[in-house]
Amino acid sequence: MLSGVSIVCFAASYAVSLTLEVSQLFVKIGVRRPLTLGFAGAGLLVHTVYLALHPTEGGAPLSSWYHWCLAVAWVVAAVYLLLTLSRPQASLGIFLLPLVLSLLGLAHLFRGLPHFSNDQATGWWATLHGVALLLGTVVVFIGFSAGLMYLLQVYRLKQKRPPQKGLRLPSLEWLQRANESSLIVSSLFVGIGLVTGIALDLTKYQVDSIGQIWTDPVVWSSAVLLLWLIIALVFNAAYKPARQGRKIAYLTVASFVFLILALSMALLARHASDTTVPLTTAAETVSNTTAHTSWGYQDGSIPLRRLP
Amino acid sequence: MKLQVVGCSHHETPIELREQLAFREAEVPGVLRQLRDRFPNSEAVLLSTCNRVELYVAGQDPQGSPGRDEVVQFLAEYHGLSAHDVFDDLFARSGIDAVRHLFTVAASLDSLVVGEAQILSQVKQAYELASRGDSTGPVTHAAFQAAIRAAKRVARETTIHERRVSVPSVAITDFASQIFERFDDKQVLVVGAGEMGSETLRYLVDQGAKDINVVNRDAERARKLAAQFGGRAVPWHMLLELLATADLVISTTGAAQPIVTLADFKKIQKRLNQRALCILDLAVPRDFDPDIGQGLGVYLYSIDDLKKTCQINRKAREREWPKAQRILEEETAQFMADLHHRATGPTIQRLKARANQLKDEEVTRLLKKLNNTDQQSHEEIQRSFDRLIKKLLHPPLESLRDEARKGTPHGLLDALKKLFQLKD
Repeated sequence: MLSGVSIVCFAASYAVSLTLEVSQLFVKIGVRRPLTLGFAGAGLLVHTVYLALHPTEGGAPLSSWYHWCLAVAWVVAAVYLLLTLSRPQASLGIFLLPLVLSLLGLAHLFRGLPHFSNDQATGWWATLHGVALLLGTVVVFIGFSAGLMYLLQVYRLKQKRPPQKGLRLPSLEWLQRANESSLIVSSLFVGIGLVTGIALDLTKYQVDSIGQIWTDPVVWSSAVLLLWLIIALVFNAAYKPARQGRKIAYLTVASFVFLILALSMALLARHASDTTVPLTTAAETVSNTTAHTSWGYQDGSIPLRRLP
Repeated sequence: MKLQVVGCSHHETPIELREQLAFREAEVPGVLRQLRDRFPNSEAVLLSTCNRVELYVAGQDPQGSPGRDEVVQFLAEYHGLSAHDVFDDLFARSGIDAVRHLFTVAASLDSLVVGEAQILSQVKQAYELASRGDSTGPVTHAAFQAAIRAAKRVARETTIHERRVSVPSVAITDFASQIFERFDDKQVLVVGAGEMGSETLRYLVDQGAKDINVVNRDAERARKLAAQFGGRAVPWHMLLELLATADLVISTTGAAQPIVTLADFKKIQKRLNQRALCILDLAVPRDFDPDIGQGLGVYLYSIDDLKKTCQINRKAREREWPKAQRILEEETAQFMADLHHRATGPTIQRLKARANQLKDEEVTRLLKKLNNTDQQSHEEIQRSFDRLIKKLLHPPLESLRDEARKGTPHGLLDALKKLFQLKD
């Protein structure tokens, strides 16, 4: 029976949960909270079952864009559930569930893409690399949500408006802490992800030189993201007002933009060898193309050697 | 069964009389004991708050429960007043009206500040006090438990409780609490010693505020206010210095000109480092230059801003009112139906017992006659007779349940007693 579980099942559960969250802006339903939590919880459960039943489809964990998006969505959904349980008054779902659904949408879009090679996706370095980048992405996503909530809350408070019916946001103090923490934690994870990725290339694929690594757009876009996160952190630590108010919210929102750029680079990188192949039909047509692990290559070749 | 309430509230009774009729919490068990001694078959719950004094009395047997005159007499005697003098100031409701009133009170729809949450805990406390003193019984248990359920349903299904309508509560709940997660680690600066300021400070202290500085031109008044809330009185000339380190400012002076101008504020703005500063300017005319509110991290609210929010919230509550009333009507109707159905309980029990007795006698006689029946046949016969009894009793019991929805079905109960010769 469980084999019939599809991505639509848990996406629908999350969608119902989001609808219920949004509905509180217009109408108060007595059983809304248990229903919202119930649908989100059921979605997460089915999501877990799906990941357990389809761990690799021939590859290792996180061995394709499809699985990687599903895993990020799973972590964001779990964080949403935990935060909603601990802060029942806050309307967090309105900000977090669209991210979960977008990730599931991306997963669906990337379903046809070939898997990363077993050789690349397995092993200690590769696992650490994949998990670190996954967690870094999740934290940037959450920081982005907290940043948006902060800006919305500041706007409301500056406009001297009472909290909108059904849309209660956490306090500025809490959101500011969440933003600050997300900057620190995401820098840490993205840093680990980048370093392990470079180590992976150097040790496993015997790349000729460090300089050659930087010709890879995936590596340098990840490095730009990390650099941005570090600059934001330093700015945050050195310039006291940066720790306050809107600045840190802007920093986390900008981090999200950098993340999207880095992810896009990673995706586009797989087209480096065959730019004419449409994204959705890649699986059928690409057999010898290259793609990077986690944010990267998909076949067994050593991609960096191909780059000029 | 009978339930009635006699009492007074802020709606019609002046505060002077309410004060005379009020009971302290420690008095309540003794009062209920005295009432029980005078009317041994009655149940009672006494609700006494600053806005209302209400004595709920009930009894399974209407004859054993005191009437309105007796309850008024009891209340007046207890306070050394003349029953004649207070009779017209005390309202009385009975039956469904008493139930509706209790539900409305518990749901805070009858409160001075509609939607305030405190009344439900006061109702719960009154019920617990009465239960502990053994003054409650089946009717009051059912009524108060249903009232608490109804109040919770109103809170769950409407937003009537979510909207604050007083300036201090709006200032803290709708604004300060949205800026700060907690107040126990925040520095609070109170400028002036006005009544509104002290009321707002009370809310803040309830939320955990500890670090409180009070500045006032009159040092003595500052000392008094600081002592009241465990804060420090600070000389007036320290105002700007304290403003630079404060997180939350409550200002209520009677000054004719702003006491903090934009130029003054700019002197200390750099030291704030853009961290959040919430200023509740409750003074008229305003104590803070309105342009200060344009600063990064500064959230400045004047009394007009807060009153505007109170007005918005009041209108929002009014919109929720019909929905809340509809819920209470549904709950009242349901409770009355249950209560009436409960009144039919003893007759139903006797009817079932009588039918089962006849069934047992007939089954025993039949089994003796049949002799040597196996266990399976024995059980089948037993089940057959059980089904017969159930089918026979189903129509009259269903009719009884239907009638109970409209009120206690005395006629039908009498008919059943006569038809089946059921003895009390």
